[in-house]
Formats: sequence, structure tokens, C-alpha cells
Amino acid sequence: MTVLTRNNVVLSGTPGATPMVFAHGFGCDQSMWRFVAPAFEASHRVVLFDHVGAGGSDLTAYDPQRYGSLDGYAQDVVQILDALDLGPVVFVGHSVSAMVGALAAAERPDLFDRLVLVGPSPRYIDDAGYRGGFSAAEIDELLETMDDNYLGWSAFIAPVIMGNPGRPELGEELTNSFCRTDPAIARRFARTTFLSDNRADLARVLTPAVVLQCREDVIAPPEVGQYVHEHLATSELVLLDAVGHCPNLSAPDQVIAAISAYLSHAAARS
Amino acid sequence: MPPPGRSEAWDAAPVALLRLDGDGVIVDANLVLLEWVGRGAQDVLAGVRLSELLSVGGRIYWETHLSPLLHMQGRVDEVAVELRGAAGRLPVLLSAVVRTLDGDRRMVDVALSKATERSRYERELLAARAAADRSADQLRALQATTAALSRGVGADGVARALVRTAVAGLGASAATVWIAAEDGRLVRTASAGSATGPGTADPPDEPWAPGPHAAAGSPPRPVEAVEVHAGGVVVVALGDPAAPLGTLVLVPRAGQGDDPLDVGILTAVGQQAGLALERARMFDQKASVAHELQHALLTTNLPPDDRFTVVTEYRPGVQALEVGGDWYDAFLLDDDVLAVAVGDVVGRGLHAATAMGQLRSAVRAVAGPEVGPAELLRRLDRFVAQAGVGFMATVAYAEIDLTTGRVRYACAGHLPPLRFAAHGAPEFLWEGRSTPLGVRSVRTEAEVDLDPEDLLMLYTDGLVERRGRPLLDGLGDLAAAGAALRESSVSALVTGLLTHAGDERDDVCVLVVAWPGADPQALPTADPRT
Repeated sequence: MTVLTRNNVVLSGTPGATPMVFAHGFGCDQSMWRFVAPAFEASHRVVLFDHVGAGGSDLTAYDPQRYGSLDGYAQDVVQILDALDLGPVVFVGHSVSAMVGALAAAERPDLFDRLVLVGPSPRYIDDAGYRGGFSAAEIDELLETMDDNYLGWSAFIAPVIMGNPGRPELGEELTNSFCRTDPAIARRFARTTFLSDNRADLARVLTPAVVLQCREDVIAPPEVGQYVHEHLATSELVLLDAVGHCPNLSAPDQVIAAISAYLSHAAARS
Repeated sequence: MPPPGRSEAWDAAPVALLRLDGDGVIVDANLVLLEWVGRGAQDVLAGVRLSELLSVGGRIYWETHLSPLLHMQGRVDEVAVELRGAAGRLPVLLSAVVRTLDGDRRMVDVALSKATERSRYERELLAARAAADRSADQLRALQATTAALSRGVGADGVARALVRTAVAGLGASAATVWIAAEDGRLVRTASAGSATGPGTADPPDEPWAPGPHAAAGSPPRPVEAVEVHAGGVVVVALGDPAAPLGTLVLVPRAGQGDDPLDVGILTAVGQQAGLALERARMFDQKASVAHELQHALLTTNLPPDDRFTVVTEYRPGVQALEVGGDWYDAFLLDDDVLAVAVGDVVGRGLHAATAMGQLRSAVRAVAGPEVGPAELLRRLDRFVAQAGVGFMATVAYAEIDLTTGRVRYACAGHLPPLRFAAHGAPEFLWEGRSTPLGVRSVRTEAEVDLDPEDLLMLYTDGLVERRGRPLLDGLGDLAAAGAALRESSVSALVTGLLTHAGDERDDVCVLVVAWPGADPQALPTADPRT
């Protein structure tokens, strides 16, 4: 099994053009980029992939120890980029994958040209002088809910697929996306995501970055986006007029416009 | 302005109904919802997002799973979430569908139905399943631990097995075992695991981190079977928590996705390890008692006599934790006859040692000037039958007339005596054979004449038996090795033979009689050992 099949890497866009990698966050898979990625196919070589444990990835490759911290996911990204050998990439990471990309860029700056961080958070739990959006007790509550109540996952997953007789292509897509997500892996991924503290890693990231922040986001509030922006060596902050944690789905046009603008003026400057 | 389609029936529906705008903010809700969440309509409608009415788990779920799905496929069905209700949490099933109004206004219609009963039932099922999973896990971990502990030899071996299992199977990143010495001091006995992973730390270099039970001046003892100390270090009492035989100190793996250590499993592991340590200690004790007993029993107390030399050697098996049933003896039957015997009692340990002692005494008791080897074996058979000791034991017995060199001998199931002739090849004395003691048999004996300076050797099977080698090959090797050593002193011969004796795990007994001949002055290598 190669790295590319392990992570269900899918290539599209223009061969030879600047590579652009899209990384999905917790709770979904690469289909999350369906409204955004196609806009860059004409100008970029587009790379989509699933984290191990999500979507069409190889679930047997899931190793609780490797994926017990975000470093394991960052190593996967490095391996994918090494395997593709496309040159420095524009890395677009949503939610937890924004930090995954940042960690990978800190380790291997040679593989990254630009980072686009959509709704990043280096730590979800409040701390002295830091507001992550959740108290430790609330995250515990989430983990307990997930630990105790994983029937909720299957109860949720199955009807989603069954409920769409009129659109079988969606059912197919979601079967690939959700049916094969082992609830045990999902719980571990939740724990890895929400208990990580990668604030100290931000300073190690030297790759230029842009932070795309929704004006309202309960998962990653605006002050967290501000925090990331302030602690990265070189970054810009773009506030989207969007609500929720998934602007790539709820406001794809704004996301596309913000990324395009960032890349073009970054290109003009360099 | 009421949304289109709004009617009286909306408020009277048996479910909570809401309409959200494209951002998930509630724009309308029926009376059922207001009642469930215990809020007035103005309250609910004032820009509140539905996700804010959910428990934290539900809120994250909404943002990371449901909202994306509504965007991707336009609806979700039967999602189990919890509403933060007026009277605590209210489990509900949520269905939602996206509608486009007025051409491009994206709205989401949501129905919530109460799922208290169903949720309670599901939780019972889940609890049962979790309990079953837990016991299966516990069973697996315990089986692995018990298997590993049973392979550990001695307290040190148990400690090593324990730390290896803790790291390999119980989810610790590092483990240390401390065992109480005789004075109660805890001694670091074994360690395993690395502290090099991200976020891991070495186990504190003390039996346990001081906890709330620490008493000034005395080392703190775990009162609970499993205690969690500062830094997540887990201390497991080995054996009774009130008076543990030692402690297992664990550092859990630090990855965010790692499961915490299971207290239930660790409690059981602590009990198992305590039992294993007790067993190991009793075993050590028993073994040392057996060894001492064996050495005491093997004393011969032959008076110095220059008409013969007897050299004896006993080597315990390498692991030395179990004593074998090998024995030897040499005594004067009358003024001119020396009796020698080597035997092997079935079994190992204290039981075999005591059986050996009884049998050895019985040989002395039933031997006599007029008895002879065959009759001696018959009397031993009776002793075995009456005393119930020594069934299937083997014996080689010989009487040497010191004035003539004539040897009368008999073997009950034992390997043949070996004669190293002063001139000529070594010779096994294959006659006078019968079955082991206690087995009905015709007891026979045989005679052989020693020449001056001949050696007669009696021995147990540990000297020749080696796994995978035919016994006759072993005997051949023994004779050859002995012939090569024949020119050295008798004690050097014995030592040399023991050095490349068969299987080191087995214990070995060797007895050699040197007969210088009728004239005592002819003995060239007088050996003071008896």
C-alpha cells in the first residue's frame, strides 16, 4: 500500500501548474472542498486527500499511537507531498487540518510555498490569558458524549445515506465518506483534535500564511483567528462575512475570492 | 410576519418545529419548542442560533457534521442530539431539510421529536455493550498478564514480566516495578518502556509520588488498589493494597487520542501480580529449604580409611529453584565391606527431597552383612509399599569387598555402574538389572572383580541425558570422556565429567570409589575427600 492509496489522494487540475493541496477537517472528508477546489483547477494542480480514518482512506492504516497527536497527521501530509514530488505547494487546511499543515510546514518548510488556514485553532480549550472557545469541562462533556453515546454516530450516519433515494450519487458519495468511518476512530480523532495544544508550534512556522476567519464561529471564534495571525511569523488575516465553522461549504464564493486574492497579490509581491 | 405555510396546526404539532435562516439562526419556532427550552418567544427569536440550544457535544456536532451535510445534501434525518431544556437535558431526534424561498433565500426547516424513552433504551443497550466490551478487554488483558506472569521465574522474573506486559498490553508508555525487601524498603526491581515519546515523562524515581495518604516520616502506601498521582502517574498496589508486596508505577501514553489506563484492569492486574509475587516468594523459600535439606541428607560421614577413596559430587540444576531427587550414600557394612548407592526419586522440590531422605535412610536400615544387593532391593520394595514413599525410584547399589575387590551389585531401573579399569577400556556393568522400586519384579544381582587401582562409578541420568541425544550415545560419550580423564586424580575426573555433563537444567549425582587393591600402600592418589 502506498501513501497515496492510504490517504486516498486524488489529483485533478492542470498538470505542471502550481500544486494546491486541500486538507479536510474533523467530521468530514475531501468532499468538503467540492464547492471550492474546482475553482482552482484551471490555474493549479489540485490535490485532494482523506486523513486516515476518514472517507476513502485505508482504515487498517489507523494506528492509535501515530494518530494520538496531530504530529501523526502532519507526518502523513509530509509523506504525501514527498511521494507526489510536485514542488512547494499552496496548502489549504480547514479546521484541525490548518494546524496539521502548520506543523508539517514547521518540520519541512521546503515542501510549502503558502498556507491558507481556514478556521484554524491551535487550542480549543480556554487557558490563562487565552480564549479557545471551550472550557475543559465542556470538552470533557463532548468526549464523554462521544465515548458513551457512539450509537449517535451510527444513528446519524445510516439515515443520512438511506434518506436520499432521489439522489443516489449523494448516497454513494456519503457511503464512501461516512459509512466507513469507524466510530472508534472518530472518537479518537475528536480527542486528538480538541485536546491538542499547538500554540507553541505557531512560532516555528515560517511559511507565509493567510488566515480565513468567519465573523461568527463557535468552534474557532474570531479572537482565536486573531491569535493565530499574531503568532505566525508572516501572515494576513481575512475576515469572511460568513457564519459557522465551514465557510468552504456555506460561503464558498468568499473563500475562493479570498484565496485567489491572497495568491495573486502574494505572487505580485514576490 | 409569519413565514409562509404557518398555521394553527404548527403550534399544535406533537413535535418541536423551527425555521432557521441560512446561518442557522432561529427565525420562527412553535410553542412546543418554547416549552421544551423554557423560553419566551422573543427570547428564542432574538438572533439565537439553534446550535446554542444544544448541549456542547451537540453544538460541535452541528458545526462539524450537520451543517456541512445540510450544505452538501440538503437534509439530515434522525440525528440524536440533546436540547438544553428547562428541566435539564432533553434527548431529541433532529430532522432538517433545506428550502429555498423567494428564489434564493436559503432556509432550514427543523423538526425535533422527543427521544427520552428511546434514548434511555439505547443507553441501556450501550451500557450493556460497553460493559461487555470492557469485560472482554479486561479478560484479554488479564489473560495476557497472567500468562506473562506465570512465565516469570522468581520475584525478579515476575517483575520483569509485569513491566513488559504493562507497556505492551496495558497502554502504559513506561512502567517500573518496586518490590518490598525484607526490611520493608521498596527496591526498584524492573523497568520498561521509553520516555522519549512526545509528552511522556520518566516514571518518578520513587515507588510512588507522595499522595494524599502520605504520612510524615513513613513512606506513603497506596490505600486504594490503583491511585492516580500528580502528572497522571498511576500507582498500582501489588497484592493487598493495605499491605502491598510492591508497586507498579505507570506513566500513561500522552497522545490526545490515547485511551486512559483502565482502573478495573489495573486493579485485577495488581491482584494477579500480587499472587504471582507470593508464589514466587514461597517458591524461592521452598527451593532453598529443599536445597539445604538435600545437602544435609547427603552427608556420608565415612571414617577416614586408606583402603578406599570415595569421591562424591552433587550439582543442582542450573535454575536451582527446584531441587531434584538425586541422592548418594556410602557406608561400611562391616569391617571389610563398603556399600555405595546412588538413586533418583521421581519428582522435584521439597516432596522429592523428603522422599529421597526417607529412601536413603531405608537403604541403610535394611542393608546388612548377610543381606546382599538383590535382597536389599526386595526389602526396599516392601518399604516403598508400606511407607508409600519412593514409588518408581531408581537405585544402583554395590557392595565392595575391600580385601578382594569383589563387587556385588544390583540396579533397580538405574543406569549401569561404570568401571574404569586400571588397564583396559571402561566397562558398563549391565548385569543385575531389574525394574524401578515398587514395581513387581524378580530382583537379581551380579558380581564383578575389581583390579587394584580400578575405579567404580555410580551416577544419575543428569550426567548423560541431553535432549535429542540417544541415551546410548550419551553413555558412549561418558565412557570416552572418563577414559580421557582416567589418568588425573579421582576428584579431577569427577569435576571433569560434570563440566560437560548432559543437560545443565537437570541435577546430577556422581559417586566414585577408588580401590587401590588389597595392599593399602598401593594407592597412588590418596584423596582426602569423603
